[in-house]
Amino acid sequence: MRRGLISWSREEVPPQVLESRVARLQEKMRDAELGVVLVYTSFARPSAVAWLTHFVPYWNEALLVVRPVGAPVLLAAFSKRVQDWIRSVSHLGEVRSAPDLGRAAAAFLKEHPPEPSRIGVLELDALPWAVAEPIVKAGYGAALVDITGLFASIRQPADDAEIGLARRAAKIATQALKAIPTGAKRASELLSALEGSARLDGAEEVLPRLAPDLRADATLRRLEGDAPLGERYAVELSVAYKATWVRITRCVSVNAVPPSWRGAADCFVETAERLNEANLSVEPRVAGNARPGKLAAWTLETCRGSPPLSIVAAWEAPSPSALPGGSLACLSLQLDLDDGPWLGGEPLILGGRGQPSRLLI
Amino acid sequence: MSEVPVNAPAERRARLAAAMAAEGIDILVVAGNPWRSDYLRFAADFTPTEGHAFAFIDGDGPSQIIVEHPAEAARLRWEQPQLQVNGSCAPIEAAETAIRAYGGRRLALAPLAAVPYRLAKGPLGAGIARGTALLDRLMLRKSPAEIDAFRRAAALADDGYAVFCEAARAGRPEYALVADVEAFFRSRGCPENFQILGSGGTEVRGMHPPSERRLARGDLVTTELTPCVNGYYAQICRTLVIGEASEAQRRAFAVYDEALEAGIAAVRPRATAGEVARAQNEVFRRHGLGDYVTSEYTRVRGHGLGLYVDGRPAVLEDVDLVFEPDMTLIVHPNTYHPEVGYVVHGDSVRVTPEGCEVLTRTARRLFSVN
Repeated sequence: MRRGLISWSREEVPPQVLESRVARLQEKMRDAELGVVLVYTSFARPSAVAWLTHFVPYWNEALLVVRPVGAPVLLAAFSKRVQDWIRSVSHLGEVRSAPDLGRAAAAFLKEHPPEPSRIGVLELDALPWAVAEPIVKAGYGAALVDITGLFASIRQPADDAEIGLARRAAKIATQALKAIPTGAKRASELLSALEGSARLDGAEEVLPRLAPDLRADATLRRLEGDAPLGERYAVELSVAYKATWVRITRCVSVNAVPPSWRGAADCFVETAERLNEANLSVEPRVAGNARPGKLAAWTLETCRGSPPLSIVAAWEAPSPSALPGGSLACLSLQLDLDDGPWLGGEPLILGGRGQPSRLLI
Repeated sequence: MSEVPVNAPAERRARLAAAMAAEGIDILVVAGNPWRSDYLRFAADFTPTEGHAFAFIDGDGPSQIIVEHPAEAARLRWEQPQLQVNGSCAPIEAAETAIRAYGGRRLALAPLAAVPYRLAKGPLGAGIARGTALLDRLMLRKSPAEIDAFRRAAALADDGYAVFCEAARAGRPEYALVADVEAFFRSRGCPENFQILGSGGTEVRGMHPPSERRLARGDLVTTELTPCVNGYYAQICRTLVIGEASEAQRRAFAVYDEALEAGIAAVRPRATAGEVARAQNEVFRRHGLGDYVTSEYTRVRGHGLGLYVDGRPAVLEDVDLVFEPDMTLIVHPNTYHPEVGYVVHGDSVRVTPEGCEVLTRTARRLFSVN
């Protein structure tokens, strides 16, 4: 559940920015002959609605209704008294309290028959059946079309407002990583310091994963309970600031930083800079036994739908999907060095064709 | 505790296997995501942090899990090395393929809250209600191991509220209070907490995530804290005043305290959730505050607790779910008071064979901090 700072600063995200994003969607809707678009949101899948309206549900669910013209309408499964709060943190037209989202959506469609009749749904396959069923039963099933590709086509590249939020998120994360106490012996000490720092800096959410002893294992874990920290460990910190997520990974050595890690960090920067919209794979240059170590795993992620970060390319994915230059993305690498594993991760702005990517901070 | 808790995942697995056999289900496909992770946690002892996940449960427990993110797949392989873990960027499609591969076996799909459209439109769509009901029944009444986790979560909530009181000082922004509490919970190995709060006076109509508003003298500061232990959430609701409480605040608080007492007194086997709600609401009505127990001002008078922060039953006057021993819930007569603003007050309880056991230990008083 979201329990960090949720607020809307008009300076950071002016209303015009949100309106222009909605207008881009509406333009595509007209081209695709869609009479209405439905976008589902929960705290697990908040990003599409947040990008359009700045609304993030701290719990519960909502459905955004976008018509070809006018401000979006939010059907929110919150009680009526939460409406004032919703309005204070987001840029919306009407807000309706809708304990049963699917029924409320069906009622809305009956009140405002879509013209044309096609109803676009972002990530239709993933729409919870509890929401979809009343819409289908009301006779709209045949009109539902998936608009995941359409939405992705307008979602990136990132605009200045989003890059500003991502930069702030990255600063919160790096500051939190600096707050790890020297000589921390237990994972709980580290996680406490990370959360305290990030949330005091205004993080909306913090998701830490930890490989507590790199000598034993490099798997990043969600910890319940506690674990002793090894002499070398790795922390992956995903931080949201005003609905914009970044993911940063660092290795920590209790003793002096191993020389091999400096080489790995240089390799990371070179790898990140080589990425661009025509080259979304890190494999060709660092695969195999290229120095300073063997590439064990990697991911390139971005936000282009409702999940905060989705895989664009990865070591396990068969082929990368397209992403335009100027997109906000996060690169994570794991290298197997001669003296053990090394993990690194940074947000970046993807280069255009033939252009290098730039690390965000 | 008179009973020694057994391993909770093993105990859940055994109960689920028996229920599946009784219902004639060979494979139960359980969907989940970070928002609705409770059913997955129950059936497969897995809490996803990103993306969709689908667990295939047979008579021996989870046999296969499909997860969306490669990091989640790696984590799950580490946590449960005996499992077949399939990481897929198209997890719903992968689940559909896996369902097809089970051929003539008797499959069911659950829960309604997390099953995605594509799977529901398939051959298992008609059985979602049955699969969901099966899990709901099992998750309502807790085993000794589950009660033990709940008990520890309630104790952690008490400690967390003490930290909250320390954190609440005039001039601090709301989000700083949450930062302190979260840092404390992580220091105690607690990975997750649901918390909302409110601060101010009569303009405050409820709780919400923390804002940049700075606390001021005279504010009522409300919060509900909901940490979890081994996946089980317990909750505490309390209200404090920055500075000395006014006479109106003290008088208002007395109504909530009386309502909480009445609600808890009504929790016993064979009582309904509706009776517990009514017991609380009658107190407000007697004090001429009946308007403030309607949906205009409040949501529920408590709710179930367990692997989900807001579980069944909703404690509302029209809910006829009957309590049984070892159900766990919070009783909270939280609502708006016209003289002082929004007030919260609630304890986590366990239904016992004779009545109920209050697990919250924090004093039931209107706290005052300087």
